Amino acid sequence: MTRSLRWMFVALALVLVVGVPVALRRIPAQAPDLSAATVLSRIRAAAGHPYSGTVELSGDVALPVTSHFTDVGALLGGRTTLRVWWRGPTEWRVAKLLVTGETDLFHDGATTTEWRYDTAKANQSIDPEVRLPRTADLLPPAFAARAVEGTSARDVRRLPARRIAGIGAVGLRIHESAPQASIDHVDLWADPRTGIVLRMEIYARHASTPSFSTAFTSYSPKRPSPAVIRFAAPQSVPVRFEQVLDIADAANQYAPVVPPQVVDGLKRSRSSTGAVGIYGTGLTRILAIPLRRRDAATLLDQVSSSSQMVGTDMGPSLMAGPLGVLVTDGDRSGWLLVGAVTRATLVAAAHDLVAGSRYR
Amino acid sequence: MITVELVKLLRSRRTWVTILLVDALPTLIAVLLSVTDLGPRPGTGPAFLSAVLNDGTLFPLAAIAIVLPLFLPVAVAMTAGEAIAGEAQSGTLRYLLIRPVGRTRLLVAKLVSVMAFVLITVLVVAATAYVTGALLLGNAASTGGTVSVSGSSLSTSELAWRTALALLYAMLAMLGVAAVAIFASTAVRSPLAAALGTLALLVASTLLLPLDAAHVLRPYLLTRYWLSFVDLFRDPILWTNVVHGVIQQCAYVVFFLAAAWANFTTKDITD
Repeated sequence: MTRSLRWMFVALALVLVVGVPVALRRIPAQAPDLSAATVLSRIRAAAGHPYSGTVELSGDVALPVTSHFTDVGALLGGRTTLRVWWRGPTEWRVAKLLVTGETDLFHDGATTTEWRYDTAKANQSIDPEVRLPRTADLLPPAFAARAVEGTSARDVRRLPARRIAGIGAVGLRIHESAPQASIDHVDLWADPRTGIVLRMEIYARHASTPSFSTAFTSYSPKRPSPAVIRFAAPQSVPVRFEQVLDIADAANQYAPVVPPQVVDGLKRSRSSTGAVGIYGTGLTRILAIPLRRRDAATLLDQVSSSSQMVGTDMGPSLMAGPLGVLVTDGDRSGWLLVGAVTRATLVAAAHDLVAGSRYR
Repeated sequence: MITVELVKLLRSRRTWVTILLVDALPTLIAVLLSVTDLGPRPGTGPAFLSAVLNDGTLFPLAAIAIVLPLFLPVAVAMTAGEAIAGEAQSGTLRYLLIRPVGRTRLLVAKLVSVMAFVLITVLVVAATAYVTGALLLGNAASTGGTVSVSGSSLSTSELAWRTALALLYAMLAMLGVAAVAIFASTAVRSPLAAALGTLALLVASTLLLPLDAAHVLRPYLLTRYWLSFVDLFRDPILWTNVVHGVIQQCAYVVFFLAAAWANFTTKDITD
């Protein structure tokens, strides 16, 4: 065998190893020709449909706010891999995969059990009225359910099909029409058979690349086994019950204020009746959390020291991609406002909150 | 020829000193953990290391996770880099090939010898870690059994077969390194250059891995799936990355061994 023939064998091996997978990925995705309104209605009808798979979150929403918000910041501003088994809204499990461990949420009825391998502890809690976002909220179907809330057929248009997790998915673009929104549009790709959203990308105003994306890398529409989603604590694992889940839950339960019903034209959601205000619909929402002086001071320091900080008459504010943050600078307490809204909306909402809140 | 190479490997003092050095680090860590009772902070340190204070039976896995990123590949790269370039540097390659020994046969014999080195090293590290873990670290039986990464209980038999799979996976990962080093060994005359060339590829892979801009290259990077053996201890087992890792390492082995064969069998041997 000649030298050139031998090297041809090597080149052939390289082409097979590298070229074949690349070529397979280049084959255009095939999906049925559905109207935008039909895709939108199928996505809405998919609520409650079971599924399982692996999801990758990717974002550059770099929140400089670490105190009390470490988990949220990491989810929105980095790359995270999740595994999900979803039997229905009250029966699911989401595992955040780490190189050296795993953090799981097991949901059964109204009870959520969080298992952390790195601490070898499990914490149980009853789902509160208000809480900070967690992994399960960022799954493509769950996140898309919020995005299509209040969306009409006029706000959507079709996008070319795309292969997601081996499925030829139908694409849909939703334009955010609310004047308060900092999001320009949301792109979705859904399984044409079930309507389950397989990929979602969020674009801030004037941005050409997505600020955040969530997508299945493997997917099955079959109902997962109930055994997979049940947490049976081993003998050595202590299970603790948590009365308060996070800073939003604590403020909602114990802060002695009642926020106003409307801020900057955004109505208060009926899902919160305590001290925390949730305003708006779809992705154009503001979460307003009343803060004790100590917590407000910590957050003020963190937001103020950020290079993206802009001072406003209500306090320091910053925009991380489409996500706006403002901490009001009061004497005895403060408000933390977070939401996918413009800075002007945050400032106007802060004015309304400070002026319209009353003590309970 | 294969027997000759294996005997040469096993009789070499350097082989055993290398294995001893690779084995020394996890053993030292086991002793330090046992004496201080201080594990790594949650979410930090190599895989399984925070769990071994409660469950010493996991220490073979922690030991593999400790040596896999650096110590083991360095040892494998040095041993495999020696394969052909070592003979060339010492001036014995020409005499070896004057005997009625085919070049392909010599290459296969060297490959088997390197595979034996990988097998022995991984087994020695795992066995030593099992003994030190059982003697010095936590006793799972007294704390309620082994807990999987996902928080479920693992029986002894489940732990045993998953550990065996993890060790096989680590060996396959090192075969990928060996294949690169053997190719480098056929391309240069110095074993040190062959080892350093292989290590340069490993370092480049490790640096590119966390870089978002290099995301498109990730599936092809040599070290991409090395730590995916952790997925064997999730419940249910996450096979995706393990299978991708096996396919990727096999592809590296096939391609670099083919390149080594193409290069060596047509090379002018002057040393």
